Amino acid sequence: MSELTRVLSSNPIEKRSAVKNLIVKILLYALLILITFITLFPYVWMILTSFKTNSEATSVDLKLFPEVFRIDSFITLSKLQEQRISNTSFLRAMLNTLIIEVTVIPVGTFVAALAAFSFSKMRLPHKRFFLLFLMSGMMVPYAAVLLPQYRAFKAIGWVGNEGFAQLFPLIIPGLFGNVGMMFFFIQYLKSTPKALIEAGRIDGASWLRIFIRIVLPAILPAIAAQVIFWFLGIWNDYFAPSIYLSNEWLTLQALISQLNDSTARRADIPLVMAGSTLGSIPMIIIYVFFQRYFIQSLALTGIKE
Amino acid sequence: MTKANRNLYRKEKRTAVLFIVIPLIGFSVFTLVSLVAVLVFSFADFNTYRNTFDFSQPFKNYLNLFTNETYSTHFFRAVGNTVLLLIGIPIGMVAGIALAALLQAKAVKKGKKIFQVLFYLPAVTSAVAVNLVFRYIFNPSYGIINRLLDADIHWFSDEWLIKVAIILKNTWSSMGGTMILYIAGMLAIPQSYYESADVDGASATHKFFKITLPLLTPTTFYIIITSVIGGLQSYADAKLFGDGAAGSQTIVWFIWQYGINQGKQGLASAASLVLAVFIMILTIVQFRFSNRWVYED
Repeated sequence: MSELTRVLSSNPIEKRSAVKNLIVKILLYALLILITFITLFPYVWMILTSFKTNSEATSVDLKLFPEVFRIDSFITLSKLQEQRISNTSFLRAMLNTLIIEVTVIPVGTFVAALAAFSFSKMRLPHKRFFLLFLMSGMMVPYAAVLLPQYRAFKAIGWVGNEGFAQLFPLIIPGLFGNVGMMFFFIQYLKSTPKALIEAGRIDGASWLRIFIRIVLPAILPAIAAQVIFWFLGIWNDYFAPSIYLSNEWLTLQALISQLNDSTARRADIPLVMAGSTLGSIPMIIIYVFFQRYFIQSLALTGIKE
Repeated sequence: MTKANRNLYRKEKRTAVLFIVIPLIGFSVFTLVSLVAVLVFSFADFNTYRNTFDFSQPFKNYLNLFTNETYSTHFFRAVGNTVLLLIGIPIGMVAGIALAALLQAKAVKKGKKIFQVLFYLPAVTSAVAVNLVFRYIFNPSYGIINRLLDADIHWFSDEWLIKVAIILKNTWSSMGGTMILYIAGMLAIPQSYYESADVDGASATHKFFKITLPLLTPTTFYIIITSVIGGLQSYADAKLFGDGAAGSQTIVWFIWQYGINQGKQGLASAASLVLAVFIMILTIVQFRFSNRWVYED
């Protein structure tokens, strides 16, 4: 360790401050390792528990590791319908979640970016009014508009529907764009030179063409940042799915919470933990691969708003 | 201006409006109309079976919400719980800024990135998983906390202890996100400020409180407001972690319980409106202040 040799070979005054630095360093790293332990423990506990039997998991005599690593809970998870625990299989729940993701995000993002382009680069009449009008929607909490939406969706037959229409309350509103995202794009577009767009105009390109050929590529980093968080938001969404979905149409989070409900009486803890583990893994993998993006985007959002 | 140019401008304006028409429709239908409907519902007595509205006693829902013995007790309990749980926000912020300072410390070089990635992990994990795992961890009879302490702490039935548990859980899940925002804020502070402080022989603590913290005010304000707005809408804590326990019931849980579960939509609409007004005021405050703080200095 080069630091140690440096400490030992230096003169007394330097040595004292170097020793002090080393102690500070050791203390700081000890603290970081402690916090890492606190952060990771719930994950470790969730995973270990999912390999236990229920009597091990609910025993007063608690053991860290399962006696034998059993995959019974994961097998149960693959046979939820046969075991009459849920009408939605685990894979189906993942598919339902993905259906919402892939319909809402591309359309909603396109709509939001197009509107942002109009706001920031075009001669939009009553610009200020429209912007304030749209942004005022950001301050209305979802819970406040939930009840009339629920009634309306029930009236048109989306609530209590047996089929695919159940997913509509979670898909249709998203197709109209996301105002928070639009606001982010407007901020981002401020740094896009107007000359780029004017050049396109001189070439005689239509506005839509300019948007697709020039603007979309220019704001691609902003799109990626926002899409990642929207994807995460839909994947982890729980409130609306738990209200609107039933039968085989549950999303992942709605299914996992149902595991907790349907097993409440017998409290099948390992099954709930196995579901939580499998439900969290995809996002963790995506996060680990794109962590730079996650962290940069989050930082950007915080500074810009 | 030539006629051709005028035509071009008119066409541009028309296209520009066309480009924002979809979000305008979305906002009008899903927010504006819904908000008006919630206002109307809140003054109506809605009969679920006959599907009829009765406006003969327009203030009945509000009277019920604030004075009826059962409903007002539940509502004020929900408001009280929601507000008390906001105490977790400053705790999470202190934890977050401490983590940020720790990772930005000069002595910490190796593994900085890895720690940062690890600490942010809870932010990508779903509220469902987090709540269910922590519900197991805090379980009074077989949860690991009571077993390790060899104690018999009633985490769920005691209305104060359940708040302590929820706040601990929320601190765990929020500190990583707060940390990232603070690190971003810290990196934006010009290094020259610290260099001139070094010339004056300022200590690290002094520099933190006199330079770093004041310059992070916009970040702090952003985190406070967004967390309060989020906190006022908390639902999963009550539904999943508390499983409806009295000490965990929040305003949104109340709205769900009465509006969706019990079909008392008028009462729940009145509660929704109270919540919406609160949040709107907070958002306006945020916009006012963030403009002043971010752009004027």
